[in-house]
Amino acid sequence: MEIPDGPLNPAEADDPFELEIRSVFQDTLGLIHLALVSHYDLEELEAIELEKDLYVWFVRFCMRPGNFSPRQSRPFLMVACCQFAREYQKYLIGTGIREAGEKLSKLLDREPTEVARDFSQDLEFLGFRHRDV
Amino acid sequence: MSPEEAASFAGRYLSVDSAERPAELTNSALSNPDVLTSLSRILRERFSSDPSLALDEANFIYRWLTDKGQRFGLFDERDYFLGETAFIAGTASRLLGKREEAFRWLDRAEAGFRHTINPAAGLANVAYARLSLRFEMGRYDDVLDLVPSLTASFRKLDMPLEVAKSELLRAKSLKQMGRLEEAYAALDPVRQITALRQSPDLHAHVVSEIGSVHHLAGRTDEALVAYESSLELLHDRGVSMARADLKMFLGGLLRDKGNVAAGASSLRSALEDYLEMGAATRAAYLRVVLAEALLALTRPREAEWEILQALPTIEEQKMVPEGFAAVALLRESVKRRKTDPNALRELREHLQKQN
Repeated sequence: MEIPDGPLNPAEADDPFELEIRSVFQDTLGLIHLALVSHYDLEELEAIELEKDLYVWFVRFCMRPGNFSPRQSRPFLMVACCQFAREYQKYLIGTGIREAGEKLSKLLDREPTEVARDFSQDLEFLGFRHRDV
Repeated sequence: MSPEEAASFAGRYLSVDSAERPAELTNSALSNPDVLTSLSRILRERFSSDPSLALDEANFIYRWLTDKGQRFGLFDERDYFLGETAFIAGTASRLLGKREEAFRWLDRAEAGFRHTINPAAGLANVAYARLSLRFEMGRYDDVLDLVPSLTASFRKLDMPLEVAKSELLRAKSLKQMGRLEEAYAALDPVRQITALRQSPDLHAHVVSEIGSVHHLAGRTDEALVAYESSLELLHDRGVSMARADLKMFLGGLLRDKGNVAAGASSLRSALEDYLEMGAATRAAYLRVVLAEALLALTRPREAEWEILQALPTIEEQKMVPEGFAAVALLRESVKRRKTDPNALRELREHLQKQN
């Protein structure tokens, strides 16, 4: 599944729910790309490929029974972004393909939830994730 | 794969009997998270009408995922689908009366959901399923103690159908404890939840329970009105737990109003529904209830037959209270016919093994 390019065309609108998922992802893409490239030191092409996987994951995530609306799920999207990037970089560093500088090493040691919170203002649902059910 | 394509593929997968399903179809369906998402949705919808199918399919998918090892889907999807399929298997096991198996599945579901990015909804559903099991084991104090917190969780998560289910469980526990007016007070706001319109089975279940409370309180006319409303909600739906439960309530009401023959007929129809769904524990319980009605109709041989049919399940699932009732009823039927002590001995031997 590819991330739809360009501005959304109402004439090609799908299911309203899918439209909302797409819209939320597009709105967050700038922040995602910044996190991947500037903070997690991914190369441009790596970031683009990871963003495609992230979109696919986010669509399926929003369809899970009992989950919040796509707009309310934005904080989870940022956490997933940071988790994806962390796992990817740890894999490359672990296999010796890449070396980690001090800044990246410190970032990789932090929990993705905390890192995502630093990137985004609107993460109030992340606090609920840790409440007892 | 688009949601429509995934739904179509999932439907094709389930349309082939599991025993005849080619490995290629299985592997291509189950290795696709989009198809698994659709399969999960379909199996959840079929809990109530075909719990045997839901259990078999969810069990198979869970085993397939665990055999596949760590590589599946993106990010937390392996853990999510392990949690989801185990939850489906656990709920289906509970509906089939397989309580120990249900507890094990729910433990697996919790283990899966715990590692997902948003575990709250999944874990809340597991908590609800566990409380439902406690209800079926007669542990009503446990339910009343724990359900308020669960309802609060569902409210925070904005899950109105689950709020309805949670409050319904509380009301049913109150009813079982004889606290009828409190049960009614708990049920009335549940009936007002607008999201119930999305789930005719749940809506009918709520209205049936209102009828049941009226019945137990001696308000038989109000009970009949409620049951008729519930029947209306289910008129275009097939076999389901809600429909079977309603027939059972109606049978009890008709019997109590003196129309024992009509009551027995409704009870037998409910029994057929439970048997069709594979709900062995409920069927065993209903056979004991039906046997009582058959004795009242002076049909002791049929009563005895129903009890003997119930015995294997009573033993397997350790349904002790129902077992004692079976002994009393069978003794009565034997006494009336003054024949066949073998049946009585067989029941006694079953219960002795159980104890």
